[in-house]
Amino acid sequence: MSDYEVVIGLETHIQLNTTTKIFCACKADSWFDPPNTNICPVCTGMPGVLPVLNKAAVEKAVVLAAAMHAELRPLSFFDRKNYFYPDLPKGYQISQYDQSLAFGGYLDLPVPAANGQPAYIRKVTIHKLHLEEDAGKTKNAGSERLIDFNRCGVPLVEMVTGPDLRSADEAAQYLIRLRQLLRWLGVSEADMEKGHLRCDANVSIRPRGATYLNPKTEIKNVNSIEAVRTAIEKELERQIREVEAGRRIEAWTLEWDEDAGVLRKMRSKETEADYRYFREPDLLPIRLEEAWKIEILKSLPELPLIRRQRFMDAYGLPEYDADILTTERNLSDYFETAVKAYGGDPKRVSNYLMNDVLRMLNEGGQTADQLRLTPAFLAEIIKLADAGTVNTSTAKTLLQKVEESGTAPAEIVAAEGLGKVSDDSAIRAVVLEVLAESPKEVESYKAGKVTLIGWFVGQVMKKMRGKADPTLARTILEELLA
Amino acid sequence: MSDSIDRETFDHLVGLAALELDQQQADYLLRELNNQLKAIRELVAIPLDESVPASLHGVPFAPTESPALREDIWLPHQDPGEIIAQAPNTREGYIVVPDIPHTTLE
Amino acid sequence: MELCDLPAYELSLLLRQKQISAEEITRACLERVDQVDGRSGALDSGELTAEDEHKVHAFITVTRERALNQARVVDKRLAAGEDPGLLAGIPFTSKDIFCVRGTPSTAASRILANYTAPYTATPVARMEEAGAVMIGKVNLDEFTYGSSNESSAFQPAPRNPWNPAHVPGGSSGGSVASVAAGEAALSLGTDTAGSIRQPAAFCGVVGVKPTYGRVSRYGLIAFGSSLDCPGPVARNVVDAALMLQVIAGADRRDSTAANKPVPDYLSMLEQPVKGLRVGLSPDYFRIAFPDAASGEYRERPLPTDIEAHVIKAAEVLASLGAEIVEDVPMPNTRYGIPAYFVISRVEAASNLHRYDGVKYGYRTPQPPGDLTQLYRKSRNEGFGLQPKLRILMGMYVSAAQYSAQYYQRALRVRTLMRRDFEQAFDKNGKYRLDVLLTPTTPTTAFKMGAVYGDSVLMQYADQLTVPANHAGIPGISLPGGLDENRMPVGIQLLGPDFSEDMLLRVGRAYELATETEDWRKIKPMVLR
Repeated sequence: MSDYEVVIGLETHIQLNTTTKIFCACKADSWFDPPNTNICPVCTGMPGVLPVLNKAAVEKAVVLAAAMHAELRPLSFFDRKNYFYPDLPKGYQISQYDQSLAFGGYLDLPVPAANGQPAYIRKVTIHKLHLEEDAGKTKNAGSERLIDFNRCGVPLVEMVTGPDLRSADEAAQYLIRLRQLLRWLGVSEADMEKGHLRCDANVSIRPRGATYLNPKTEIKNVNSIEAVRTAIEKELERQIREVEAGRRIEAWTLEWDEDAGVLRKMRSKETEADYRYFREPDLLPIRLEEAWKIEILKSLPELPLIRRQRFMDAYGLPEYDADILTTERNLSDYFETAVKAYGGDPKRVSNYLMNDVLRMLNEGGQTADQLRLTPAFLAEIIKLADAGTVNTSTAKTLLQKVEESGTAPAEIVAAEGLGKVSDDSAIRAVVLEVLAESPKEVESYKAGKVTLIGWFVGQVMKKMRGKADPTLARTILEELLA
Repeated sequence: MSDSIDRETFDHLVGLAALELDQQQADYLLRELNNQLKAIRELVAIPLDESVPASLHGVPFAPTESPALREDIWLPHQDPGEIIAQAPNTREGYIVVPDIPHTTLE
Repeated sequence: MELCDLPAYELSLLLRQKQISAEEITRACLERVDQVDGRSGALDSGELTAEDEHKVHAFITVTRERALNQARVVDKRLAAGEDPGLLAGIPFTSKDIFCVRGTPSTAASRILANYTAPYTATPVARMEEAGAVMIGKVNLDEFTYGSSNESSAFQPAPRNPWNPAHVPGGSSGGSVASVAAGEAALSLGTDTAGSIRQPAAFCGVVGVKPTYGRVSRYGLIAFGSSLDCPGPVARNVVDAALMLQVIAGADRRDSTAANKPVPDYLSMLEQPVKGLRVGLSPDYFRIAFPDAASGEYRERPLPTDIEAHVIKAAEVLASLGAEIVEDVPMPNTRYGIPAYFVISRVEAASNLHRYDGVKYGYRTPQPPGDLTQLYRKSRNEGFGLQPKLRILMGMYVSAAQYSAQYYQRALRVRTLMRRDFEQAFDKNGKYRLDVLLTPTTPTTAFKMGAVYGDSVLMQYADQLTVPANHAGIPGISLPGGLDENRMPVGIQLLGPDFSEDMLLRVGRAYELATETEDWRKIKPMVLR
């Protein structure tokens, strides 16, 4: 492996989560629909139909382009990409060719430390970002193919990276970060298993140190991040074997068979293409006027990797915390709101989130914005704990109680009498009770088994349902046992 | 530039077009294509400077005359079954076609 | 005069006065169909009979029951005192390139012969919402590819009612033949290079090619998507205006249907033409065409008969007070056909990709080995020669290596043609034309079989009409008299974008001024 440098570029197709398809008013999502039921004359390419562009698809693509730091064209055009395939009912795909919605752009990909290598940033450039329509689905059935048009016309953004990735792991990392970004922006559900995010990988190798590009193969139909990693690794191994055996790599198109775990070569005749692109005469160009663009970009949030860095810089969070707290936009918003409400050390808020709140979210299958335990309530609980009003274990119980009831923490503390008891006489009375009930333990203690003091404190806490100030209870116990 | 379409190019076009022609058809079509190309050749001689852009439509479609984009509102088609009923071969809601051959890599 | 020969506007009046019923009108048209049309176009229809040669054959499908039902609905609404719509009870035919729900929509091609549309084209839907009664779907060149109607897969092909030995023109041949023969008052046609105006001229009726984007293309089976325009065919200008009023306007299903209000064509129709500037251009009185053998361009003046009719029309308009502006240069007119050979073929080849035997239409009955075989056999058996020719040419001139020299260049030449018109119609320019007056066609209707097969010569029948399609501007062809063989001569008016009101107004003025001329009294041969 070390003799070769790996060169990978990814072509991603992103289904936008609009309500309807890109050129007709059928709904975009047909995950639960029987085949060929979410269709109309337009998306099935009936004779005589015409496309009408969905405004929301443009808006979501604009948000994504801005987040990828791509340059938006004020005037962009649709083109026809002509080819025959049974899942493409018009015999051409409406896409954008030379004057696409956006071009350029990049993602600064953080690659975590692994195998003794330190962490680093890989700059992944974007060649082109354009809008197009999805094709239908085909399914093998013996010597036949079954075709379902439900997916025809789902809005897609195609985003093509430069040949910038240097390992299968980097390719996987890129997809993880892209998926995070898409969900963060709210432009796609980005579920690879459901095909919301699809990826073709262009893979080649070259001698280490070389700057030219060798012929590449294109791997299609990879449906999970793990599959992308595996398929690329397999193909790299094959290319190295071929080259070492003195053979040339040919520019094949390969299809990943998930079930068999093998790559299949598609017949070169079918992949040999002259798409004869030309302007789609049925659509006018997209005019992205300045006022509209500004309106759209009002909704562009701070980006996850930028927020991650800011959490480290501004709040002094460790990278690990910052990474986890920015996996998802709701969670990071939650964190930040709680930090503001709290006013103290952000790391304390982070600890509560990472240890307890995340567990609650996972167990409940919720997102942070759905919690009844609001950031303000969380901040209040931490403050109660800091002030000694409740002890730590009560604080943790409170998280659950607030989530269940939606009631403010202070109210619960008052109503249930959960406040920490620091009254000497109240604790002293309970201590006397405990001592009276435990003559054997008192005897052992006095005989020198002083480690029993912990057991006595526990008994007091138990009787007082956790509210006692444990330090004070210990002092009184030691005094009375002396 | 090539002045006429030769047989080889013609056969390539026929394949790209997903057609299959008998000899008589092929002869007629090739002859007519080359006759049309003679007419088309006149275009090449027309002086065109930088100030002549391409027109996708003759009518310029000023922004005020361009229809608004579609709002993202779901309007299901009344009878999708009517569409699929046109297909020559269907099974369990799917349209059926013969397979596209593949070869597995060793 | 029979009901089926009356103008639509008169029928409308009689209907509202309850002198006649919609059902009576419809029955009159259906009877006329029975008398003159002969057998409808069909696949594999066998040899022509002697009788066939004297019939019109406008139809592919006569929608008899549907029409009678529609007529009865109109009568019920009238009886109930409701407003049945602007075109209530008016019979029309629809070129079989428009999808109409529940009817065969064939494009005159074997590949769509068994196709039943699951939706209705916007212009047809608007006609029917306005109460018009569809008598049937009429024949055309296969996928509109032709200028004579002979290329239809549905034979016998339509014949010219003025002389059935001659072609009706094309591609809207069935539309104009049905209107000229009194089988319907109106017809919905399409014009991509002249496919409404050229056959209208050949059959002595009025044909309007509206501005691109004036009438929705939704449901029109596409040929050249940047050129196709649905439009009216009628026997007089008032009827054409009525019909355009109904079909024009924005459509949420067509992104290229202009968002522009539709004027009231009828209210402006009979305003005087005094002071209007009517242009004549020498570039429309000659045709340039390549010699089949050498490929060299030759220029030829138009037949003097045709030129004389146009000059006569100019004199008529001058006598009404219009100002005639001569020698308006339209130097790029001659590039219309070469550019059209490129642009329309690229669009057509792509538009025909969808006919592959998978989803609808014809699929080869031969057992297909694999998918590629299914495609090739279905398309080979389903398409006639003319679609194949357009597909191959489109493939060639849009191939990556040729696109710049052919397709991109043709789009720029289109800009030159557009500029010719912009200069002629410029309100502050040298010519300041309101309309340009030209012949519609270089010849009158030719005999059947005379041109068919020579795809280049056939295309040049559109030389004087195609510039308007490239430029997007509107045009109208009007009956301008008869030639020495008693075949109709068409005159054409062209105007700037969205000037249909002006074209109709000038057309109507000409029509009224020539109302009493002798040639207007002569009927088509099949009605004599």
